[in-house]
Amino acid sequence: MKKTLRFGTLESRIYMIFTLMIFATVFVMQLVSFRFTMNTVRNSTLENNRILLEQLVKQVDSYISGMEQISLAVQNDIQLIEYLQNSSNSSSDEYSFIQQRLGNYIQARNDISDIIIVGHDGTVISGDPDTALNPWTNISDKEWYTDAINRSGQTVVSSSYVQNIVAGRYSWVVSLSREIFSTHNNESLGVLLVDLKFNQIKDLCQSLVVGRKGYNFIIDSEQNYIFHPSQQLIYSELRIEPIDSIYALLGENGEPFFHDEDKYFMIETSSLTGWHIISVTNDSDIVTDWQYVQVSYAILGLVLFLVVGFATNRISTGITKPVRKLQEVMKSVDTGEFKLVGSIKATDEIRELAREYDTMVGHIRNLMEVNIKEQELKRKSDLKALQAQINPHFLYNTLDSIIWMGEMGQNKEVVLMTSALSKLFRISISKGREFISISDEIAHVESYLTIQKMRYKDKFEYAINIDPGLYNCTILKITLQPLVENAIYHGIKEVDHKGVLHITGKEIDGNIELEVIDNGKGMTSKEIDNLNKSLNSSIDDSKLSRHGMGVHNVHERIQLYFGGDFGLSYYHAEGGGTRITVLIPSKEMDLL
Amino acid sequence: MKNWYLFLLSLVAAFVLFIVLSFFYNQNTAEELELTDPIQIVLKSIEGQPMDFWEVVEQGIDEAAKEFGVQVRISGPRFEKEINRQINIINAVIAERPPLIVLAANDYKRLVDSVEKADSLGIPVITMDSGVYSDIPVSFIATNNIDAGNKAGAEMRRLISLNNRKTIAIVSHIKGTATAIDREAGVREALDGEDVSGTWFCDVDPEKAYQITMELLNNEYLGGIVALNEVAALGVARAVDERKASENVFVVGFDNAVRELAYLEEGIIKATVVQRPYNMGYLSIKTAVEYLKGKKVKSFIDTGSILITKDNMFKREYQELLFPVSKE
Repeated sequence: MKKTLRFGTLESRIYMIFTLMIFATVFVMQLVSFRFTMNTVRNSTLENNRILLEQLVKQVDSYISGMEQISLAVQNDIQLIEYLQNSSNSSSDEYSFIQQRLGNYIQARNDISDIIIVGHDGTVISGDPDTALNPWTNISDKEWYTDAINRSGQTVVSSSYVQNIVAGRYSWVVSLSREIFSTHNNESLGVLLVDLKFNQIKDLCQSLVVGRKGYNFIIDSEQNYIFHPSQQLIYSELRIEPIDSIYALLGENGEPFFHDEDKYFMIETSSLTGWHIISVTNDSDIVTDWQYVQVSYAILGLVLFLVVGFATNRISTGITKPVRKLQEVMKSVDTGEFKLVGSIKATDEIRELAREYDTMVGHIRNLMEVNIKEQELKRKSDLKALQAQINPHFLYNTLDSIIWMGEMGQNKEVVLMTSALSKLFRISISKGREFISISDEIAHVESYLTIQKMRYKDKFEYAINIDPGLYNCTILKITLQPLVENAIYHGIKEVDHKGVLHITGKEIDGNIELEVIDNGKGMTSKEIDNLNKSLNSSIDDSKLSRHGMGVHNVHERIQLYFGGDFGLSYYHAEGGGTRITVLIPSKEMDLL
Repeated sequence: MKNWYLFLLSLVAAFVLFIVLSFFYNQNTAEELELTDPIQIVLKSIEGQPMDFWEVVEQGIDEAAKEFGVQVRISGPRFEKEINRQINIINAVIAERPPLIVLAANDYKRLVDSVEKADSLGIPVITMDSGVYSDIPVSFIATNNIDAGNKAGAEMRRLISLNNRKTIAIVSHIKGTATAIDREAGVREALDGEDVSGTWFCDVDPEKAYQITMELLNNEYLGGIVALNEVAALGVARAVDERKASENVFVVGFDNAVRELAYLEEGIIKATVVQRPYNMGYLSIKTAVEYLKGKKVKSFIDTGSILITKDNMFKREYQELLFPVSKE
């Protein structure tokens, strides 16, 4: 069954609407779930980052608190303090003792670059014995020195900077400094400086990063960078960090976090130093399997779409297939045959529809049958009325003959003709019955023949040879008379020689065959064929002669009562003339 | 399926869905350059002592490579004077057909052949720090050395006005190198009208620079020396230090070797013009990536220079520049 793409059909409508709806649904669903997945992954990654960042802050703090412990240890080292108190009359012994003590502290920890005590008199004692003071440095200008003095005894943590206190050495450090005091009289002895190797913090910041593009940086509360992996880009403004957004967030509670384009910034503040450590994560590192997620979602969408599409197709054909079948059955009405749908595989609604249709068709069929029967009945009664009519010409001709014979005084002939006419009428009426016995029918046709024979003065002879065994069988009344009349008027009357009418009757295979044979004018084979054809066609009555119509009506009546297998046929008779046969079923009178 | 057209419709719709979704997802991912081979970088010297300069350039390159997600491979001769070796290296690099070559040329003219060869094979070239005598390179990322020379010259002009001695000498690193030519031109431009006695070449040898300076210091009118690179500055400073001539002979140098900065602190070198090697490395890769992405790039990018004196050398914004953290 070839089909073209037609949008008018129910099937394609259903399919189109479903497709569009599913398309929209799948699309929106995909979008939402994709977003959701990405957010979930992102959040869990950021969660991990937060833990990592907290770890980083702790470790940085541990370095600072380590330095603080050293500074406390020095402050509490009584021996060392005593030596320092006496250092005004600085002997080299005392100097080297202090140096050695400080050296021990340095060696105890590998993250300490140097420990230095600066006296108010400008003396500098370094824990590292191999170093010489950089003569070009002015210590009293240094922030770590002035801040420590200002905060008398409190520890001061510097930003990251290049320490140039030792000649020829420029090292990056973060320093912790505090003023130290005499144990006896709380007199200030100078400033203790502990330098932490900045590399420690740097390495820490660079090791605890997430992803290929992630990094950490540290800023202090004055917006100075303590550490940034590409500080030079910052200072030459090739890279700009959203410092303002970061500081704006600091006042808020909770976990400061924001994102700027594809970068996620997470901020933790160290309570010990006041530094803000910021972890930066790139979005491309958070969801590293972008492509995979994308492709799998797209394939999922495709599969879903195909599955639902297939299902939709099944549903739409499931609805339309029975409808189409129904439609095909209904089309049979056009051709006049009323088919029934019968049982159908479909939904309840369609089945109901089919059942109602079948009921309706059943009604129509019944109505049609009734109609046909009524038509038949009407035709039968019409024909019956016609058949019962006696040709008025025949009647007044006969009556004229009777009058003429009466005038002639031929009483015997008058009686004979009148009684024949009476018999004719009586049998014609037969109390309104449609069927009479064959013997009555014979009597009827004999009465007619008697009258005609008297009228035509022995123009013809007749013989009736019907099997007496059939006398009690039934026959439609006035079957033979029209045939005889036809034989007389169209056969015998037309010829000069004496006519002979022969009526026979016998039973053949359970049917009765009656024959009316004349030796009249006869017909050509073509005429016989035409007559036989005209018998079975309901041609317009007016085309036939009165006699012909009588014969036709006989045939029609037989067929109406007994069916198409019965009726009349014309044949050639032997020795010229015509033979008409009547075939009717054989039935005993009593059976009726 | 007998309703083949509906099946077809499904497929088409599904395909459209796929495309639309892909398109949408793609918008979320940043555009990244996908290279099968690394970008090749040929430097003037690697692992050479004490050329901290190239180490910092490499840091900048690495940072940019990380940021833009590209692979890089760095090569180069051990010493800056090995011109033939650099030619061999770049020829070997060209044979590998990299997507792009970044070159810091050791000679202004002798590397032109190699650059032309790369161009004939469709390999774009970006020059860095020192260019070549050719229009082929798509971009040149360097310190504007004339500008840098100008800064050094202007500082020398200011210093010499405070000095009784007025003669100025220029000690250059190598004859024929673009940096040497440009810096000298810049210095001479700024010192126009002053008594510039001449230019001496030390061939990137601190010992030779020291010897030249020893000779120059015999001139009792000599009041200033401009040393055009790190090696020259170190040689000059050593000689001035030994002769204890810093009171009379003012030295302005280039670059920021640790020893040079110590001389600066001591006052033997009065000022030094410092380049931004980190930015140079970073910008060379950034430009390379932009070029490979099909963007228009500038034919010359100035990475800038800064005049450093004893007063500003410990300023926060210059500390990282002068004392790269990774050195320790």
